[in-house]
Amino acid sequence: MIIDRRSALIGVAAMFGSNLFTPIARAAARDAQPIIDTGKPSVPVFTPVQHATMVALSERVIPTTDTPGAIAAGVPDYIDKLLADWSLPEERIPIVAGLDAVEARSKGDYKISAARATVAQQDALLTAAMEDRFTGGADFFDKFRQLVITGYYTSEIGMTQEREYLPVPAEYDGAFLYSKINKVYSA
Amino acid sequence: MASTNRFDAIVIGSGVSGGFAAKELTEKGLKVLMLDRGHMVEHQEGYTYDGKPAFELPARGTVPPQVVASDYFIAKYGYVSTSNLQFYNDDRLNPYAFDEGKEFRWIRPAAVGGKSLIWGRWSFRWSPDDFEANKREGVASDWPIRYEDLAPWYSYVEKYIGVSGSRENLPYLPDSEFMPPMPMNVAEKWMKGRLEANFPGRKLIHARLSNITEDKPDQNRTKCQFRNQCSNGCSFGAYFSTQAVTLPAARSTGRLTLQSNAVVTNLDYDPAAKRVTGVRYVDAKTGQAQTVQANLVFLCASTIGSVQILMNSRPSGSERSYFDTSGTLGRYVMDHIFRVNVSGDIPGMDEYIEYGRRPGQVYIPRFRNMAGTDDRVGFKRGYGYQGGAHRPVAEPVGFGASMKNAMRRYDGWKFSMGAFGECLPYEDNRVSLHPSKVDRFGVPLLRFDVSFRDNELKMMADAREQGEKMLRGAGLTNVTSSEEKHVPGDAIHEMGGARMGRDPRSSVLNSWSQAHDASNLYVTDGAQMASAACVNPSLTFMALTTRAADHAARNFRATAA
Repeated sequence: MIIDRRSALIGVAAMFGSNLFTPIARAAARDAQPIIDTGKPSVPVFTPVQHATMVALSERVIPTTDTPGAIAAGVPDYIDKLLADWSLPEERIPIVAGLDAVEARSKGDYKISAARATVAQQDALLTAAMEDRFTGGADFFDKFRQLVITGYYTSEIGMTQEREYLPVPAEYDGAFLYSKINKVYSA
Repeated sequence: MASTNRFDAIVIGSGVSGGFAAKELTEKGLKVLMLDRGHMVEHQEGYTYDGKPAFELPARGTVPPQVVASDYFIAKYGYVSTSNLQFYNDDRLNPYAFDEGKEFRWIRPAAVGGKSLIWGRWSFRWSPDDFEANKREGVASDWPIRYEDLAPWYSYVEKYIGVSGSRENLPYLPDSEFMPPMPMNVAEKWMKGRLEANFPGRKLIHARLSNITEDKPDQNRTKCQFRNQCSNGCSFGAYFSTQAVTLPAARSTGRLTLQSNAVVTNLDYDPAAKRVTGVRYVDAKTGQAQTVQANLVFLCASTIGSVQILMNSRPSGSERSYFDTSGTLGRYVMDHIFRVNVSGDIPGMDEYIEYGRRPGQVYIPRFRNMAGTDDRVGFKRGYGYQGGAHRPVAEPVGFGASMKNAMRRYDGWKFSMGAFGECLPYEDNRVSLHPSKVDRFGVPLLRFDVSFRDNELKMMADAREQGEKMLRGAGLTNVTSSEEKHVPGDAIHEMGGARMGRDPRSSVLNSWSQAHDASNLYVTDGAQMASAACVNPSLTFMALTTRAADHAARNFRATAA
């Protein structure tokens, strides 16, 4: 309604010449371009149990090996923020539902919360999801896996330790010997 | 009259054309006021995210979908990231209109420098035939100029801005004054040899880019560092932008005044004298309306932006622009058609990878309907392809240590390319002022009625078929192609709407980019184009602008004397 009224007012103002619409333009200027929120998540997406499961499973998707894994790279924080503020609310649904399903399965199979299960049990839970052995399993797995991969390989650890960060190559060599490198370039 | 004006000339817009207009006119001794609707971005210090890795960008670089949906629902068809969002128009604040089924994607900038900060940087001369085809084929109207008229201005611009590329001696794609080209990689060289051998007359050549490959110390510009982050703003000044190149030149004369956040709404006009008498603008920050005067006006507000300003310059109560005596204003709007992609795998050469990231790779120039021949393919004109070969990082399935380890490898070489096709100028591809809707500054919204036609769609079908044929013929495997919905505006190569012509009864501008209806008004951006060719147009806008500025300054001095 407000927008319609404003449009109408501007239309009227335009008919009477430019000076009249000065205050209206000022009002419109308040509609500044959006700023992308980079603070703490504005809403809690997960219950404490869901969150613990999410953290544990992220580390199973990209575990600590000779380089740090998902937890050290801050992937859980990234997922918290992304699902709270950098994605549409409906994108939380399959993730939250999948974490609940994994937790229920863990309780059923292992009589323990997924977050406290052994890594072998956690891997078995993720495999069950991947193979769609419970409702919504594969959909959850694909989406959750992608969140972890994106979060990890855009993190500082992912870009500078797991991969080689090359901010200023300074030159281009289109026949560079593959044998000269140990890591792929992150950028 | 000159003595009563603070400025000799007003330049509206600060993109590739406006920046050059300001540089040329100030260097020729004129006091210039440059107005731009966007906010100020200074070279280097204004590039907030230059050199920043993903983990230092808001939302890791991806614009959140709700922000796209609310404010960047058109800009998203450009190349938006949170690292360059400040350079893109807010579509909610600055709307436009089109009818159902007539979608047009008007992808606009938001900052001083215009699209020069975010452009693709591919820089080509048009060929002699590009200026002659309309006449030969009886399409729309003849260009009032020929390649030879523009050639010295191409040279002038190229030497100044720096264009990298390879000399090819192709009559249908004239060479520029080149800096050394960006190298081809081993896979592209392999492909070039096989494609050119198996398809006589077709070429695969180096990209032609406004990214410099040699330093320009006189302009404080350092050659390309192969970061491929151009659209964040380049503090090395390695690609042409107003900020890096023309604005410093204009400022160094001491004769430039730059006013940002100045949204030009319309031009005042003296019908008796046939001259523009004032430029009206609204300060986007304060809402204050202003009128400024100068003896000379260069309108460089972008193809569609300039047409909108021209259309909104009209007598009270009239729908007819002062500058539309011909009835052609707003007509013959064009954009390249380009949603065809072809890709495939290049076998072998596994021992090599790329070091560094080029901002542009390779080009397959037009080969259809060349210079007066008819290939009998069911359409006029032609298309070219921009593409390149890369080795993407492997994408294994599964999870865990084995997946992490498998992601430490590069896959084999992949080549992909996209076609850019020429769109013909159609009289009924037009824009007009909306009869009732206005924007926040009181300017009627621009309404698009532009669509691609049979000629363009047939051309894209051929580009897809020939693209697959060439990649297969060159020995690539797993060749696939795709074609998305073709929506005008998408290529961000919009042109026309105030075309050049010899006859004031059928064109808006004369051969000097000067309005038939106002001797002190020049329109030197894409609006002046009478056809679209199939190559990227910005270099031609710059050449036309310098040529027009030379003409205008000579006239200015003659008038003042």
